[in-house]
Amino acid sequence: MSTSNQASEVIFNNVGKMAIFKKNQTVILKNCSFTVEPGKLTVLIGPSGCGKTTIINLIAGYERPDLGSVKMDGQPISGPNWERLVVFQETALYPWLSCYENVMFGPLSRKVMAKEKAHEETLKLLAKVGLEDFRDKYPSQLSGGMQRRAELARALINQPKVMLMDEPFRGLDAMTRQLMQEYYLKLFEETHASHVFVTSELDEAIILADNLLIMTNKPSKIQKTIEVDLPRPREWSMVTSKRYLEIKAEALELLHEEAVKASTTSGKVDVDLSGLLQTADSD
Amino acid sequence: MSDHTATVESHFWRQISRTFVNWSLFRQIMSFVLFLVLWSIIVVAVDYFQQIPTPKAVFMALFELPFSVVFINMLKSFIRVLAGFFLGILLGFPIGVAIGYSKVAKSLIFPAFEMVRPIPPIAWIPATVLFFVHIESQIIFLTFYGAFFPVVYNTMGGISEVDIRLPRAAMSFGLNKRQMLWKVILPAAMPQIFTGMKLAMGITWILVVAAEMMANKGGMGYYVWYNHTVMDYPHVVLGMGIIGLCGAICSIGIAWIGNYFTRWQRIF
Repeated sequence: MSTSNQASEVIFNNVGKMAIFKKNQTVILKNCSFTVEPGKLTVLIGPSGCGKTTIINLIAGYERPDLGSVKMDGQPISGPNWERLVVFQETALYPWLSCYENVMFGPLSRKVMAKEKAHEETLKLLAKVGLEDFRDKYPSQLSGGMQRRAELARALINQPKVMLMDEPFRGLDAMTRQLMQEYYLKLFEETHASHVFVTSELDEAIILADNLLIMTNKPSKIQKTIEVDLPRPREWSMVTSKRYLEIKAEALELLHEEAVKASTTSGKVDVDLSGLLQTADSD
Repeated sequence: MSDHTATVESHFWRQISRTFVNWSLFRQIMSFVLFLVLWSIIVVAVDYFQQIPTPKAVFMALFELPFSVVFINMLKSFIRVLAGFFLGILLGFPIGVAIGYSKVAKSLIFPAFEMVRPIPPIAWIPATVLFFVHIESQIIFLTFYGAFFPVVYNTMGGISEVDIRLPRAAMSFGLNKRQMLWKVILPAAMPQIFTGMKLAMGITWILVVAAEMMANKGGMGYYVWYNHTVMDYPHVVLGMGIIGLCGAICSIGIAWIGNYFTRWQRIF
């Protein structure tokens, strides 16, 4: 029970979000409602370009919903905050700082930790992600997998309540990717934060998830939430288990439907914006 | 059989030559030598170019070079270049930061800049008389002007092209606006800021020479022009060479400083 006290809950309530892209307004999210349960790993999966990154940006506070609300522990999210940290697609490490300085960056900038404490914590975290021998290297000197781990450490040192993973392992080769998933699973199972993980890989999604949220095409919402009740700690050997295969079959069917819909509708649909405005129920 | 021995032998000699002669360096030296030879041939062989001093004449002129005069002129040019360059940075850098960082500043300043910028700085030479009484100030204004726009535009460009994820991550880490500028935006824009400075350095040398030729106030440009008026062409060419050398020293200097501040870019 103690863990659920620390972890945070994020609730999307009928969120609508528009974007202007090349002078065309597009509805990205429409009536999007879901809950990120405290201390759970929520995975978002859906066709590419369906607004997964928008959801991450909304939780992180980089964007605001046009309709509906995004709340964390009952409070509307009003802007970026260290409580909600993003691990971005590809690397967003500061290339002019060493690995060590990158990890120290958050706590030292906020001046919430004494330098010695931050130093200790940094070394501890670098050891945890297996980068203690690379602390003085610049990000460009690290391999893709190492960069991802350094970025995980840079976020974790701030002890965020919600970790937002925006397709963090995209672009890694298959072997590194699997290793990173194992690393990440271990880290998640040790920390008590709530995690949101965005991916377009089904196997990655299922092996990581507590709750698997399947998204529809644009304008996106959550089509279905599948509870992944595989036991933790997760192992890759579970991919052959009966339950895993059942979940995969169900998810595949839903994703396939969306893929078909996506391929049969033109890429340049003029979206009727009035629909979005009518279905909105303010709160 | 003899064929085989021949190939082995030639292979052997190739190895020997590679061990004892740095052929790449040799070719680079040859490039230099060939240039001088070609220059000499053209001057000697083509009647039309007879007035051009040969490399030998230029080299001999070096021995009768009035070193103290040249040194003073060099110093004057250097001071003008550096004064203009640093003034250009002093004013151009903050303005570039403001335009790159704030949309309000950009819409307020940028259009006027775009109107003035296409005017080649040398076209300003006559107009500087209107702004400054002292000839020295006119020259420094011109060098400043040459440095100003490259610094402004590259600082602005560097800042506006920073990957949005870097400041976003910093926002999440809780940086205030001031920290954001100094700890994230400026370091990220640093490579392009130095590109601007390198450009600025080159342009200030062009302008200082042009201005000195007009001004009669000393400097390497004046030195070259003066020798032209007395028709001492070996010293004209020598003066040109010295200007080139000075420009190169400044470029190397600024590149070295830039490399130091952006060394993270070159480590892999």
